Amino acid sequence: MRSLPVPDPGIADHRTPGRFLWWMAKAQWVTLLGGMFFGILWGSAQAVMPAVLGRAIDRGVADKDTSQLVYWTGVMLAVGLVQAISGIMRHRFAVTNWLTAAYRTVQLVSRQTVRLGGTLPRKVSTGEVVAIGTSDLSHLGSLMDVSARFTGSVVSFFLVAFLLLRTSVTLGLVVLIGVPLLMVAVGPLLKPLQTRSAHQRQLMGALSNTASDIVGGLRVLRGIGGEQVFLERYRRESQSTRSAGVQVARVQSVLDALQVLLPGIFVVVVVWLGARTAVSGQISAGELVAFYGYAAFLMLPLRTATEFANRYIRAHVAARRVCVVLALEPDVEDPASPQAPPPVGSVLADARTGLRVEPGRMVAIVSDQPDDSAELADRLGLCAAPADDDVTLGGVPLTALARAEVRRRIVVSDTSSQLFSGRLGAGLDVGGRGGVDAAMHTASAEDVLEGLTDGIDTVVAERGRTFSGGQRQRLVLARALTTDPEILVLVEPTSAVDAHTEARIASRLRDHRAGRTTVVTTVSPLLLDAVDEVALLVGGRIVATGTHAELLETDAAYRAVVTRDVSEVAS
Amino acid sequence: MNQRLPVAGPAAVRRYARDLARRHPRMLWSALALHVLAATAGLAAPRLLGGLVQAVEDGTTTAHVDRIAMLLAGFLVLQTVLTRYARYLSQVLGEQVLAELREDFVANALALPVGTVESAGSGDLLTRTSRDVDQLGWSVRWALPEWTIAVVTAVLTFAAALSVGWWVFLPCLLALPPLVTGLRWYLRRARPGYERESASYSQITTTLAETVEGARTVEALGLGRERVARADADCKESYDAERYTLRLRTVFFPSMEIAYLLPVVGTLLFGGWLYTRGEVSLAEVTAATLYVQMLIDPVDRLISILDELQMGAASLARLLGVAEVPDDRSVTGAVPADEKLDAEDVRFSYIEGRDVLHGVDLDVGIGERIAMVGPSGAGKSTLGRLLAGIHPPRTGRVTVGDVGLVELPLDDLRGHVALVTQEHHVFVGTLRENVVLARPGSSDSAITSALEAVDAWEWVSALPEGLDTVVGSGGRALTPAQAQQVALARLVLADPHTLVLDEATSLIDPRAARHLERSLAAVLEGRTVIAIAHRLFSAHDADRVAVVEDGVISEFGSHDELVAAGGSYAALWESWHGKG
Repeated sequence: MRSLPVPDPGIADHRTPGRFLWWMAKAQWVTLLGGMFFGILWGSAQAVMPAVLGRAIDRGVADKDTSQLVYWTGVMLAVGLVQAISGIMRHRFAVTNWLTAAYRTVQLVSRQTVRLGGTLPRKVSTGEVVAIGTSDLSHLGSLMDVSARFTGSVVSFFLVAFLLLRTSVTLGLVVLIGVPLLMVAVGPLLKPLQTRSAHQRQLMGALSNTASDIVGGLRVLRGIGGEQVFLERYRRESQSTRSAGVQVARVQSVLDALQVLLPGIFVVVVVWLGARTAVSGQISAGELVAFYGYAAFLMLPLRTATEFANRYIRAHVAARRVCVVLALEPDVEDPASPQAPPPVGSVLADARTGLRVEPGRMVAIVSDQPDDSAELADRLGLCAAPADDDVTLGGVPLTALARAEVRRRIVVSDTSSQLFSGRLGAGLDVGGRGGVDAAMHTASAEDVLEGLTDGIDTVVAERGRTFSGGQRQRLVLARALTTDPEILVLVEPTSAVDAHTEARIASRLRDHRAGRTTVVTTVSPLLLDAVDEVALLVGGRIVATGTHAELLETDAAYRAVVTRDVSEVAS
Repeated sequence: MNQRLPVAGPAAVRRYARDLARRHPRMLWSALALHVLAATAGLAAPRLLGGLVQAVEDGTTTAHVDRIAMLLAGFLVLQTVLTRYARYLSQVLGEQVLAELREDFVANALALPVGTVESAGSGDLLTRTSRDVDQLGWSVRWALPEWTIAVVTAVLTFAAALSVGWWVFLPCLLALPPLVTGLRWYLRRARPGYERESASYSQITTTLAETVEGARTVEALGLGRERVARADADCKESYDAERYTLRLRTVFFPSMEIAYLLPVVGTLLFGGWLYTRGEVSLAEVTAATLYVQMLIDPVDRLISILDELQMGAASLARLLGVAEVPDDRSVTGAVPADEKLDAEDVRFSYIEGRDVLHGVDLDVGIGERIAMVGPSGAGKSTLGRLLAGIHPPRTGRVTVGDVGLVELPLDDLRGHVALVTQEHHVFVGTLRENVVLARPGSSDSAITSALEAVDAWEWVSALPEGLDTVVGSGGRALTPAQAQQVALARLVLADPHTLVLDEATSLIDPRAARHLERSLAAVLEGRTVIAIAHRLFSAHDADRVAVVEDGVISEFGSHDELVAAGGSYAALWESWHGKG
């Protein structure tokens, strides 16, 4: 078996779900064929087993011939061993086929997500993409998995039909026609079962949501009250889910009984016809036993065929979802021929608002509409959609530069910045340049480390959710500082930390960024007092610039924005 | 601080399972009896077939064949009907038991001590609610009945085989060595192997979800290559886990197949030999071989479901564990003399030997506003929780009207003190249901005036369905500010005389903050308030300010006094208020 995952998942054909599935199958054709080979061997071994048993009874037992008996039981043992070995080999190939398809899907979607970056949440709901990782990959894997068994089943079905036709044309035809007919007979029951099951699943989903809702709000319920009301509601929903389950059981149990009846009818008919032929001497007693074996065995290939059909339908739906994601294109494309990048230490300017950030300075953007300053921050880093030509670095529009160049030189850390799971030290040291300690000091986040048993080696939980809002914000700030770009844009970097800590961060930030350019959006006086220059954004334009002290003194509008808290509450 | 909830021991799980079985004796026994009858009816076929083979060998008439075929058909119909009712009854029983299990669990979760709810976080409990309830559902609905049927069928089939002749017992022994060694070898290794496998899939999902939800951050910080490498590494880990379990199965499956094959071959060989010696009939050899062959299916099923049952039991243990959290309140029945809140020499630790509060004294005047400021991690939130009666202090007392807060029943405590945090959960349900939590059955006018008080009635009444609007996940989305207003309206209805605010509005979008402050002011009106503040303006406005540093109150007095004293508060105020 080869090692998985493959280093490069390749470029998928995502024009239609069908093409995608075909592309995927082609990409793993070797293991698919291997699985089919052993599937056929396995199915055939099972198919001939009744015949061998029949021979053993005829020639060994009935004829009282001990050497024949030993010989035929030996053959039985050999066929059984072939079945066991080909069975496990088939299984190994099937698992490999499942895994190859599932991993390839994960790899494709991860690469596409990274390629889309900030475009992704604008074009598709994140839940849909995540669902690919939770359910679609297993549907795609299952289709590849079942292929081996399906091929084996088809072959073994025809093999048994052939064996039967050779001994008795009537019985052969009964099998060839009767088995598919029986499968069809179950059909009408499947529909109500599916409807009822779907209803039950829906109720179960809703019930599980109610439980999660109760647990998620448990603090509120235990803090304020209302436990009884919610427990009663849960009980009600639980009981209606139960009755839906009983409705399913009504149909399901009939279906279960049919699983006994239909193959049973088949066995009775085959045995009856067989025995009548045997009485007239056309077939032997052993062959009668063999017929019984065939009839019992034949349900398996049919069940596999139904399973294959179901899995194909599910995989097709999954493939459609994957194709939708793979077909997306990023909002910001690299220009066909990027311009030469401006030298380090160029001025960042925005023609639309009139903002001008001199190199090496620390500039704060103040607005009483936080959305406005956040949007400006996004535009400064080519993170807004649609991209525009108004923002320039050293006179060159950002859109005319290679996207990688812009990302390398300008880093925007917005309020939605997320921590990633894994070792904390590695998560903070983006790019592996070091400087985490200094950044942690500036972000006043040392106490976060002190609270962790393993310090910087602590493994962060998913999205850093074990940290409080304030801790997360400081870690995100430390991470942004560690990237140490030429221009760093920080959006409300201290909105969730307490005043003591904010004061410390404000006093350290400028020194940390000495010699490089920093833009901060904030309305906090503690931070504003620590920057070189403040720019006031009103109605989409920069209307005033100066130091915090100057603007406080001269600009009434500015005063209203940054000191509103005091005046509001005090009045 | 993130303590985990307990897991019930095996004895407790067994006790519970027994108790559950005793609740429905009639259904349980009828279902079992029906399964036994159905399996017995299914055992007629090999006997009849054996007789038929013998008859054919000895020479017989078609009339006899027809009679046997009719008998076969008769037993088949009987087995079908019995199976229908056996299955139906056991599924109904399964649904019943499952409903009781999950309702018990939710009732236990709703009775968890407040202190545990506050400090354990919801992660562990949420996992139990979703994954363990699902797993158990699968086990109770499917695995348990299937397993029972398999056991019943296997036992009866074996008995039927033995009824053909005692000699069948010997070839069956051949199965034991590979079966027992294979099963023991496999089960010892399987559990950790499959756990690692399923953990590796959660990791794949987690990484993908993080990459997708943090797509913007990934792009901004140039983390793309690393995220892709992480996804590939997850797949690699999953592959390693899969290879391990595949290796286990590569040994286990064939050894099972051989264990199934040997008795069949053995029976035929041994039976054939006995037949040549004239000790048994051809009918007996055939029937015995077919019975032994029939044994394969139920035995295989009962072995493969074992795993599923183990997992179900583990889930059950986690669900029952929730009931084992000891209550940390000790209700004495004492009645508070007045509404005055006091803390005396309070010490507290989450981890033994590591106090986070070192002897805090605080006397709060009735109707007073106190602001608590201080650096992160100084113990403000912990002190707030103690003042709200959520945790009992390790030493010292927190009292209202001279009665310890943890001596009050929870319902009474809620009428005295409430903790308001930045969390504002909106439950799935109508707005009305979301507001009346504390006072179920409140009149619409009481709800309306609560919403009016927090300045929320305007947008509520503008909704087409007003109070009947369904909100929460899947319903109408509320803005964080609206959600916070709903939380405040709940408080107005609960009407405690003292409120502890822990950063109640700090995570709210600054856009909405001003509006919310008005709502909050309305709720605070006429109540004693202890506010843990990020923003200094709240401190400025308070009657007294408590500066919490390193687990003690280092400065305490009015804003002006503290500014005049020139301590750490004064320094902070200076820089915040600006030199302008």
